[in-house]
Amino acid sequence: MPFSSYLNGKRKDCAELVQALGRYFPYVSILGTDVRSTSVRADKRTTAVQEGRGECGFVVKMNDGRAFFEYSLDDISGDKAALADRIRAAVATDAALSARMIAPGPIDDTPMQQDFLRETDFTDYSDADLLKTCQELVKEMGEKDQRVLNAFAVLQFFTCSKLFVTRNRHLSQHYGWANGHLIVMFGGDKMVQARHTEGADKLSEIISALRAHTASVVDLAEHLTHATPIEPGIYDVITDPSITGLIAHEAFGHGVEMDQFVKDRALAKHCMGQYVASPISNMHDGAAATHSVASYFFDDDGVLAHDTQIIKDGILTAGLSDLASAAQLGAAPTGNGRRDSYKRKAYARMTNTFFEPGKDKLEDMIASVKHGYMLFETNNGMEDPKNWQIQCTAEYGIEIVDGKLTDHYVSPVVMSGFVPDLLKSISMISDQSTVIGSGMCGKGYKEWVRVADGGPHLKVRVKLG
Amino acid sequence: MTNIIELLKKNGGISAWRVSETATKSYELFFVHRQLETVRATDTLDTMVTVYVDHDGCRGDSTFAVSAALTDAEAEEKIDAAVRRAGLVSNPPYALPEGGTLRAELPTNMQDEDPKALGRKIADAVFAADSVPGGSINACEIFLYRDTLHVRNSGGVDKTQVTHRVMIEAIPTFTDEKQSVELYEDYRFTVFDPGKITAEIARKMAEVRDRVIAEKPQTPLKTRVLLRPHEIRGMCEELSWALSYNAVYSHATPFHLGDDLQEGGDGDRLTLTMRGVVEGSEDSAFFDEDGTALTDTCVIDKGVVKNNHGSSRYGQYLNVERPSGIMNCLELNAGTVSEAELKSAPYLECVSLSGLQMDLFSDYIGGEIRLAYWFDGRETRPVTGITMSGKLSDVMKHLRLSRETVVDGAYQGPALLLMPEMTVL
Repeated sequence: MPFSSYLNGKRKDCAELVQALGRYFPYVSILGTDVRSTSVRADKRTTAVQEGRGECGFVVKMNDGRAFFEYSLDDISGDKAALADRIRAAVATDAALSARMIAPGPIDDTPMQQDFLRETDFTDYSDADLLKTCQELVKEMGEKDQRVLNAFAVLQFFTCSKLFVTRNRHLSQHYGWANGHLIVMFGGDKMVQARHTEGADKLSEIISALRAHTASVVDLAEHLTHATPIEPGIYDVITDPSITGLIAHEAFGHGVEMDQFVKDRALAKHCMGQYVASPISNMHDGAAATHSVASYFFDDDGVLAHDTQIIKDGILTAGLSDLASAAQLGAAPTGNGRRDSYKRKAYARMTNTFFEPGKDKLEDMIASVKHGYMLFETNNGMEDPKNWQIQCTAEYGIEIVDGKLTDHYVSPVVMSGFVPDLLKSISMISDQSTVIGSGMCGKGYKEWVRVADGGPHLKVRVKLG
Repeated sequence: MTNIIELLKKNGGISAWRVSETATKSYELFFVHRQLETVRATDTLDTMVTVYVDHDGCRGDSTFAVSAALTDAEAEEKIDAAVRRAGLVSNPPYALPEGGTLRAELPTNMQDEDPKALGRKIADAVFAADSVPGGSINACEIFLYRDTLHVRNSGGVDKTQVTHRVMIEAIPTFTDEKQSVELYEDYRFTVFDPGKITAEIARKMAEVRDRVIAEKPQTPLKTRVLLRPHEIRGMCEELSWALSYNAVYSHATPFHLGDDLQEGGDGDRLTLTMRGVVEGSEDSAFFDEDGTALTDTCVIDKGVVKNNHGSSRYGQYLNVERPSGIMNCLELNAGTVSEAELKSAPYLECVSLSGLQMDLFSDYIGGEIRLAYWFDGRETRPVTGITMSGKLSDVMKHLRLSRETVVDGAYQGPALLLMPEMTVL
């Protein structure tokens, strides 16, 4: 599927509006977005085929040497001088506030013209194909065990076209991503829910992976009916890649978003060049760091994608910035400026965040635990960049006794504690790594963007409750 | 594009349709410390169209977005595609709400205010609380919205609701020679009262000052835990989700009509009502996304599941005669004990949690506590660095609710909820 024909037809309008606003602002950019999404779902009783979360519109960003100004609108057709006047009037401020604006450094607008394209296979599948696949998956899950009360299969994919125009920069990009979900509602001694999620840029890979997991998700549900609460305490823990990613993302990643540095909201600001994790730990973030759901070519500020090494051999080496925070800190932006949609502000945000693999074998890691738990599947997490306290919830854990996984499941499991204590406790890292591209991340309690996280298995010591 | 409804009427494959438009104008201010970093404004229109196609005794539907820039030909193409998609979907039939016109506006005193002037007044009210030595507001975001929701369908529904709302996100911070700590403040309103804004931020400033001196208490301990309205609302939302028509029809809830959620308990009995409107709440509404008029519905009566609630479609699937419509506001009836009585014995009062974790399936409730007040029977002191957890079923059996009630966002109900015998680590 090619770049949005709608946005393609707006290149001239964007350039003209940049010129019209350029009379008043030294820096003007326009981001045009055309994101289209499809969602196909089936359960035992209902089906749905419809558009998912998408967007189509423009956001104009301006800087007058002091504050940033943004205006979000649906269309930029028509008289550009009149539109420029409307935009200037809309973002004007009360005089008392105009007197207390920031004074950022200069904004880089190095000339660049490039069109980026990553192909998908989404057009190989009709709506009918995808619905039939979902219905087959539901049937397969339902037939595995009569205690399956309901089963859900969901296929979702989006294509993203973005156009970025400044006085010197004309960029476009088009890419896509797909996710698949299996959910089982299971009766028996007690009612439980089990899930399995896949992410890839090819629907063919998603469908194959989901077909391979219909039995395991029902089996997991059966085990969860016997799960008990965990006895709160401090344990040796082996994480699966999902929980490793949760640690990377929630425990640490939010704390190195550099708009938090500007606001003095991040302890990490004072820890650059210091050990914050065990010396065997290496962590990255970046749209160009791996290939997953947040692998774009340029960010919503028109900055090319990076691979940022956040932690090198346990030492904090870099943070993640958007255009505004980098300008205030006098740094080069790292390509992490992201918006919930064209209607929302750009912030410094994570993309694909993960630990590098190590040298240990998973079986050796499990064998090294006298009594502890292996934790699986992210449920949710909450950041605290200022004070580095964490709360990360795993869907379930399996008890390890004398170096062996038992049949004892615990659910749910909440990890909490002080971030550096957790990261410095990393004592083993597996040689296999997986980045999981199915997450959504908010900043505080809003501004949702798609993110990936993951890495290898980690052995840590942490408080579980 | 000429008119999406005219185009829908022209398409012979459509059995019914719904058009939902949300026009949003916003004015937004972003402060770094006291300095203005970004000024934003938006002027957008979201149009979502659902087409319904009846076939083979079933009803299919498909929803799509219409952007302002679509040509007639492009819009017709999208309609055709949605008709084809709806034709693939074979769900049990259901009726759309019929008839009813309404133009309503949530009560507000902000409708005639110039956004720029109002934004400055709100900023002044926020920073008026930034007067504590050692304290500061390190970041503040102010969002002023005017939303106009317009729902129409082929059955004659034509309803409009206008909402003026403000959201303030502020980060009160306190710094001493040893450390710097912060709390998160999310304050929303539909009626502007600068005194209330300053008082709310000042309350948070006082709490963050306590966080800097807070220490981890001796653990583990078993104690009574008090929750404040924000977390009580979270508990109620979890329960209310599990009592929705959709959850029941999809077998996604452990609860059934008639279940006693507090069986064998000796605490206050829960009476929870879904409400369309709670005064002052931005979540208040007169109709839902289908245009269904909202009917306040008691879902839990004295601990027993009395009704389900939710969308017209799933209500019909459960043979509910008059589905309630989708409501976001909650009212929890007052309890039997005073706040003073609840605080007469040792307790841990949660001020700031990372997030209340509640799992109906795993029978779990808990969370990481960033700031709480610990009363050991003799003195009260701020504590931090702890987590609490317990069995949800035990909490339900023995919880106590304060007689005093408050309105907090979409929640109206007791100011305090007591959970007995929680494990704190």
